[in-house]
Amino acid sequence: MNCKPGFHVGHQGQQGFRPSVRGIRATRWLAILLLASWVTLSWLLTGCAASRSQGPPLTGDILVDGPRAIAEGPARDRVLWQYRTAAAALRQGRFDLARTLLDEALLTLQGIHGPNPEARRARSLFRPESVKPFIGEPYERSMAYIYRGILYWRDGELDNARACFRSAQFEDSDAEQRTYAGDWVLPDFLEALATAKLGGDPSDALRRAQTNVRGATLPPLDPSVNVLVFLEFGPGPLKYAAGEHGEQLRFRTAPSPVKSARLQVAGLTVTAAPVDDVNFQATTRGGRVMDHILGNKAVFKDTADTVGDAAILGGAVLAVAGQGRKSAADEAGAALVLAGLASKLLAAATMPQADTRAWDNLPQFLSFVQLRLPPGDHTAVVEFLGPNAQPLSDRTKTIHFRVPAEGRDVVLFVSDTSTTPQHQ
Amino acid sequence: MKSTILSSALLMGSLWLTGCASSGVKNPSGVPVTRLNPDEQGFVAGTGIESQDLVAVADKMARSILAIPQIANAPTPPVVVLDPVENKTRFPINKDIFLTRIRAQLNSRAQGKVIFLARDRMATLERERNLKREGAVTASADPQVQEFKGADYFLTGTLEGLSTRTRAGTSDYILYAFQLIDARTSAIVWEDMAEVKKQGLEDAAYR
Repeated sequence: MNCKPGFHVGHQGQQGFRPSVRGIRATRWLAILLLASWVTLSWLLTGCAASRSQGPPLTGDILVDGPRAIAEGPARDRVLWQYRTAAAALRQGRFDLARTLLDEALLTLQGIHGPNPEARRARSLFRPESVKPFIGEPYERSMAYIYRGILYWRDGELDNARACFRSAQFEDSDAEQRTYAGDWVLPDFLEALATAKLGGDPSDALRRAQTNVRGATLPPLDPSVNVLVFLEFGPGPLKYAAGEHGEQLRFRTAPSPVKSARLQVAGLTVTAAPVDDVNFQATTRGGRVMDHILGNKAVFKDTADTVGDAAILGGAVLAVAGQGRKSAADEAGAALVLAGLASKLLAAATMPQADTRAWDNLPQFLSFVQLRLPPGDHTAVVEFLGPNAQPLSDRTKTIHFRVPAEGRDVVLFVSDTSTTPQHQ
Repeated sequence: MKSTILSSALLMGSLWLTGCASSGVKNPSGVPVTRLNPDEQGFVAGTGIESQDLVAVADKMARSILAIPQIANAPTPPVVVLDPVENKTRFPINKDIFLTRIRAQLNSRAQGKVIFLARDRMATLERERNLKREGAVTASADPQVQEFKGADYFLTGTLEGLSTRTRAGTSDYILYAFQLIDARTSAIVWEDMAEVKKQGLEDAAYR
């Protein structure tokens, strides 16, 4: 292996820069291997780039960007945009749009069982987790069901609303620690209320809600209420990747400037404390199976990198020891350097990054008020209150609504980011 | 040089195999949804109500209803009204679809042994009757006579579910129970049920 003039400058005089036939062959093999490695790496990186194709440009208006991203963006982000757009539509009182989007998202969510080629790719070494179609972490799935349940209630389908609240709780039922499994409060309370209104026995669901509630008092279960007000406020959880290679999924929670809400309607004033904390739900799920896979990817990346370093170093030592005397050490040294380079390429191509796509317009807190109001037109004013129970002036919402003489309940949805005034 | 290539390939292969990221994960590719008999021991927990369940349940109920004496031996066809099914499962569904299929099955197979009333069309029917009473449209009979029929029986049902979710997967058992209720006495003159249990496991990327 005395073929590399550049490697053996000190022997120019002896060799005269004339490589042997064997050296030429070895050089060719080396070139072929390096080329193959380069092509492989390029293919891997190109594939990843293709799989990360961007959606259409964003305008900042989610009700424009969302439908466009759903129609024209990557299929793997479709449910993500359906979630985001549905939440925005709810806050603008566009309940039909929210209903359609949530139905489509939940259809995908319910059909996720069994082998999925895209999900399989997310487990492969050379693809990041984010290549899988997004369906969200359990807290995100639960929120999709909660929103859909509220819409079913608006439509007078109490049993389907109850089904959604049960599914919301169900999505949260495989937490690592059983203490945090199925510990949403509002879905259980609403399941109990729906069951009571349907003439069933609400005691189980009510008991679960009362057991899990923290820092708030649930209203008494009253099947005769005819106005339900769903309140949400504060910024929801966001995801980030931690760990040396970004292989650990973590949640970032910002403190909410809104701590509670106050509803004024028909001469009544009701203060609503949070009954559910979405941030708490996001951070108490525990480890995922995918975290184990990403951890393995990270270990592989580290190992391949270390092996590459060792092989290159060992190869270089052998090559130097061979001193271009056509020895076996020369060949072995070159082989080790090649293997080391290949190993470094593999390490570079390994992608252990956790998927940080998030339903980023979720609220932090959920709350609820129930009322019994006389039929007719009403106007509700909702003030969102700061830490000292002072109203935050830019967040007061006004909702006009009509209570029918008979028939379905009136269901109001008010967020601290809702447009105002609204007719619901 | 061949040995060099071979050793490089072996080294790369070893790295590849030892670095398999899914190692240690049970069923990393997931398990497809499998339909089981309700009394069969499953390995995990399940999924929702699908068209094959609807067809099987509605067929069974329609056959069962036709066999009861109140229908089979009735001197005049009994009049039946559909009362919406109550969904007690965790799956939001179009619950009318079960009764619609049972009604269609009975109407097509019973050859007039049962008469169903279109109570879900009452608003339209009343509007038409009023138009006839006002003389705005023609009538083939005296529109002042009350001809809307009352029910002899109500056909209704409930869908109930038991769901389980663990790290091993999801399981759903659904009990479909239907009843024919005598409108005069409130007696349940017929009841039948069907059960479906399903279980599945999503890809490890979602667990």
